[in-house]
Amino acid sequence: MNSLLIFENLRRHFEGEQGRYVMESGALEAGGILVLKGPSGAGKSTLLRTLARLVPPQGGEVHLQGRDWFSFPFTEWRCLVQYVPQKPVVFSGSLIDNLMIPFTLNSLQGKVSFDRNRAEALLKQLDIPPHLFNQTAATLSGGEAARMALVRAMLIDPEILLLDEPTAYLDGENRSRAMELIGEWVKAKHERGAIIVSHNDEDLESLPGVSILNITAREEE
Amino acid sequence: MAHSGYIPISYWQLLLSVILVLITGMISALLGLGLIKSLLWGTLRAFIQLTLIGYILTYIFKLNTLLVIIPLVLLQCYIASREATRRITKAPHNPAIASFISLTASTVIVGLIVVVVIIGPHPWYNAQVMIPIFGMIMGNSMNAIALSLDRLYSEVHSHLERVEQMLAFGASPWESIVEYLRKSVTAGMLPTINGLMIVGIVSLPGMMTGQILAGMSPALAVRYQFVVMVMIAAATAIGCLAIVGLSYYRMFTPDGALVDSMRQI
Repeated sequence: MNSLLIFENLRRHFEGEQGRYVMESGALEAGGILVLKGPSGAGKSTLLRTLARLVPPQGGEVHLQGRDWFSFPFTEWRCLVQYVPQKPVVFSGSLIDNLMIPFTLNSLQGKVSFDRNRAEALLKQLDIPPHLFNQTAATLSGGEAARMALVRAMLIDPEILLLDEPTAYLDGENRSRAMELIGEWVKAKHERGAIIVSHNDEDLESLPGVSILNITAREEE
Repeated sequence: MAHSGYIPISYWQLLLSVILVLITGMISALLGLGLIKSLLWGTLRAFIQLTLIGYILTYIFKLNTLLVIIPLVLLQCYIASREATRRITKAPHNPAIASFISLTASTVIVGLIVVVVIIGPHPWYNAQVMIPIFGMIMGNSMNAIALSLDRLYSEVHSHLERVEQMLAFGASPWESIVEYLRKSVTAGMLPTINGLMIVGIVSLPGMMTGQILAGMSPALAVRYQFVVMVMIAAATAIGCLAIVGLSYYRMFTPDGALVDSMRQI
């Protein structure tokens, strides 16, 4: 198997809940999208955050292009496997300032630099009008902030996007724009993929190369 | 009684200070504050504690040996460091050791500079100079450390989403919270910096007042006071930096994620 990302028996307990945990195996193909489905509280977000190494796993293995995930320094791993939470995180400064924050960090120095033109092109593709670019980010609507966060993650140029309900704050038309962009992004380069938590089946219809993984919470005996 | 303007208080005069306790007690009784019991107990304790420390210090000054001074300073640092972290509840780990190290380091470094380099008594470890100086440094550093630590945890707790987002961008633990580290060191140092601004205008510090009452000329007393003020500023800076430096990484796992307990409080 030449999967881009493989996780086997990846296990993590729920925040603040003893005895409940999620344990899943799955694979993400290059150019593919893996959709995590399941009722709320099934552990979809927990699984994404574990894959991003934002919470320590309690077992299991993960390989990125055949390489063990812990052989990557955590800073490099998180750049390559970019997690975007459901609720967009907004920092002080303008929308553009927000897009530039990752590029102030050591781990991106010398690897990726901020490309303003590309940033504006992506924002336009998601229907963010130019007059918002210099607006204080804290005053953006939930939907605008969510699209900003998606663009911000793409600019870091990861191999894998981990998207937790990327369309939760978006209305119909923007929802399909975002999904279309994600579909394009995945195909635009070799060795890219996305793992998406989604409740909306219609969001996914437009996307090529989609596979589904059903998630269920488990209980310790 | 004419040695350089210093007027000692006799036991008889000391007894007269009971008048002041009576005034306090009457106000409490009049308003029904229910403070009389605490007032009497507090007065008694203050009297006994101060009398004891008076005798102990006299004895220690007479001995004047590092064998007593060092254990005493360490004991004081231990008690003060416990006090500094007593109200810190949001820490993922017990901050007592970090607090002790920060307090001791700041006290010893700054204390030695002041005593040995600036004041320069003979012998250099003169207890009469060392103990009050170290005590002042310690008290201020203790407050600064407490402020700093409290601010650190409350800043990080109220910005957990941002901290995690920074980590997700590939930030190191330090990068993810450097903004809050700065704020907490500032919070610890600010009272001292503000003190530098207003000293002599709004307040006459207790130490200077004491020296003046003891007959020192005000012009000389202010020199001591100035040294004390900048010494306290240096000690709070070192103490805050040390406590923040020793505490921040304990909020993270070795793999650079927030420890579970940070998210659950």
